[in-house]
Amino acid sequence: MSQTPEEKSKHLDEMTCLLYIERQLDRARGLEVSAHTQECVACRTLLRAMERESRLLTRAMLEEDEPLPSRLAQFQEKARRSMQWIWGLVFGLAATGVYAFYTQYILLWQTQLEQAGFGGSNLLGLLIFQGTMWKGWQSVITLLEVLAMLTLAGLGALVFRRRIRRGSALALVFAGLCTVVSMPPAASATEFRKGQSPTVNKDEIIKGDVYLSGERVKIEGRVEGDVFAAGKDIEINGQVTGDVISAGRYLQVRGTVDGNVRSAGNTAVISGSVGKNMMWFGDVVTVESTGKVGGSVTMFGDSLAIDGHVGRDILFFGTGINVNGAVEGGIREKGHTLIIGANAQVGGPIHFEGDKPAEVSSSAKLASPVEFKQMEHRKEYRDSSYYIWQVIWASAYILFGLVLFALMPNFSEEAVKATEQYGAAAGLGILVGCGLPIAALIACVTVVGLFIGISTLFLWFAALHFGQIVVAALIGQWLMGRTQEIWPLVGRMVVGFVLLRLCTMIPHVGWVFKYGAAFWGIGAISLVVYRRLQPVIAPGMPSGPYTPPLPPSTTMGGVQPA
Amino acid sequence: MSAPGTMEPTEVIARARAGDAEAWGQLYHDYAPAIFRFCRRALPTREDAEDATMEVFMKLRGKLNQYDTTRSFTAWLYKVAANHCWDSLRRRRTRQDKETGDLENVPLEHPDPSQLERLIEQRTSEEVRKALEKLGARARMALVMRYYSDMSYDEIADALGVRRAFVGVVLLRARHELRQALEGGSALAAGGAS
Repeated sequence: MSQTPEEKSKHLDEMTCLLYIERQLDRARGLEVSAHTQECVACRTLLRAMERESRLLTRAMLEEDEPLPSRLAQFQEKARRSMQWIWGLVFGLAATGVYAFYTQYILLWQTQLEQAGFGGSNLLGLLIFQGTMWKGWQSVITLLEVLAMLTLAGLGALVFRRRIRRGSALALVFAGLCTVVSMPPAASATEFRKGQSPTVNKDEIIKGDVYLSGERVKIEGRVEGDVFAAGKDIEINGQVTGDVISAGRYLQVRGTVDGNVRSAGNTAVISGSVGKNMMWFGDVVTVESTGKVGGSVTMFGDSLAIDGHVGRDILFFGTGINVNGAVEGGIREKGHTLIIGANAQVGGPIHFEGDKPAEVSSSAKLASPVEFKQMEHRKEYRDSSYYIWQVIWASAYILFGLVLFALMPNFSEEAVKATEQYGAAAGLGILVGCGLPIAALIACVTVVGLFIGISTLFLWFAALHFGQIVVAALIGQWLMGRTQEIWPLVGRMVVGFVLLRLCTMIPHVGWVFKYGAAFWGIGAISLVVYRRLQPVIAPGMPSGPYTPPLPPSTTMGGVQPA
Repeated sequence: MSAPGTMEPTEVIARARAGDAEAWGQLYHDYAPAIFRFCRRALPTREDAEDATMEVFMKLRGKLNQYDTTRSFTAWLYKVAANHCWDSLRRRRTRQDKETGDLENVPLEHPDPSQLERLIEQRTSEEVRKALEKLGARARMALVMRYYSDMSYDEIADALGVRRAFVGVVLLRARHELRQALEGGSALAAGGAS
């Protein structure tokens, strides 16, 4: 049917016809359309064809062409039945896994820390209320505030998730968090100083906390509060009544710090006095002969030299300790060397796990002899309990995977798919796998970041394990073929994981498989998380040109321009 | 017990809300076939539809307390299913396969009424279902929401995340896509009358 442009312009447009048959036009426009179709054969035919099209569509869709799959028909019953034994198994194996984790890691750390004089009945209490993290009630209040804030943020994200697109909601929540975190407390007199050499001068007294950043940070005067310092060289020659929290290459305490020193950096030299505890993440710590730490020293790094005085215990993970001063508590070290010199005095027990026995001078004054334990290097291969534990661990991993796949089927499926982007997953895995714990440790150094840091570390730790599971599922798919369904995917994960676990047990190279899989998997997970955090593009709606004109009396659609 | 399109199962819903497993079983028994068919029409594969049906009912357990009993349960259930299916499609980004280009580039030409009528007459329901499978995710989703579950323009706009004024455009373009698929790509939808 060919029409001239004049004829065509008189006809109803298709959109108007659709809106008419869908009853979306207002009454006046509807009457106009109705009147027009009484006279115009072409429009009547179009209207009728479109109505028939609607009916055909409805009929085609409603027809029961496929019976309900038996999987669905039995879903309710199956789910009910399977839950009984699956959850029994889940709780049984989970209890085993938790017990194994507790006895092999938590209990060991806790015992070590307790023996090092930190006390406390549980790890959280120990971190928050005891030992080096203790900053008094203010820090507890701060921690509670952060917890409350995070809870509010979580609730906010949940509430806004439906209303605002995911990226915007996250941005909003994080922006809010950052604002709250970065806002200084209204009542405190906090000072900020930055520049080449930010200094608290000799006669100066700062009442409140001070933030200093610059290449060479110096405190010559008195700070009646905490010092937060970041710089290349940090020198404390005056007095700080609170804590010193710092990050820098070199930290020297010649003056007095009444509180704790918590720092990360390259070298720390204490020739003055630290009233409470010292925690250091870095290469070298030296407590010189004039130096004094009133509480305990905890260090994760390379070497620790004590020529001065330590009031409580030493906990050390690194290369070696050289003690030639006084330690009133005990020493617990896991490292390579322990040298106890002629001037050394140690008031508590000494536990040393290393490659060779401690070198102890005969003139040293020790409360008890050094308890030495040879560091084991995979001797467990010859031990049958090693294999039993491997089975228990493998079960716990599989269970972990089962729970994650059941709880997050889409995420898990996407993560398994993402592992096939080998380059991106491996690259991102190395980046996130190495970068995240460093970022978390840096966050831990600050009081506000403690909770976030620890949470991030836990997440990273869980992701390392989940990464192995994701890679195991991919290996299973290589062997047994691809699947879109979740339970067959779980089956492939189990097969893949058993193989992966066997590979990790190969002497000398097993760790390559283990960490390779973990980092590869963490990269795949990061890819999925990254994609999900991307703002969802609004479904590609047509822009201006396709918008039907809206005559004044029309609720929807419009007429073809005359 | 009422299935979609019949009386609302108020009592069963109340019992299911109170945690009665039997009532849950009854709801599932009555509504699963309709929801499965909805998902089957909306999603690309049968497996996807099976998974989605189970997920919709699992989701329903948590959401049943949000159901406003003064409104139609069937309509609410379809809304939950539509949101779930669209979320699922959107996550896979299948919509990017076809739609972005289609909506931007294909002009909405006036079809030849007689030719359209002939096309509709000649096609069977089965052919329409096969043609539906060839459509882009959003076009298919829109048609299913409108012509299977009889959702209103407001509900479709809400589910697809578009303005209400565009729902008609989305539906019309979906029909054009469908006609093209039924014609095997001939020019009917692209303006037989021009």
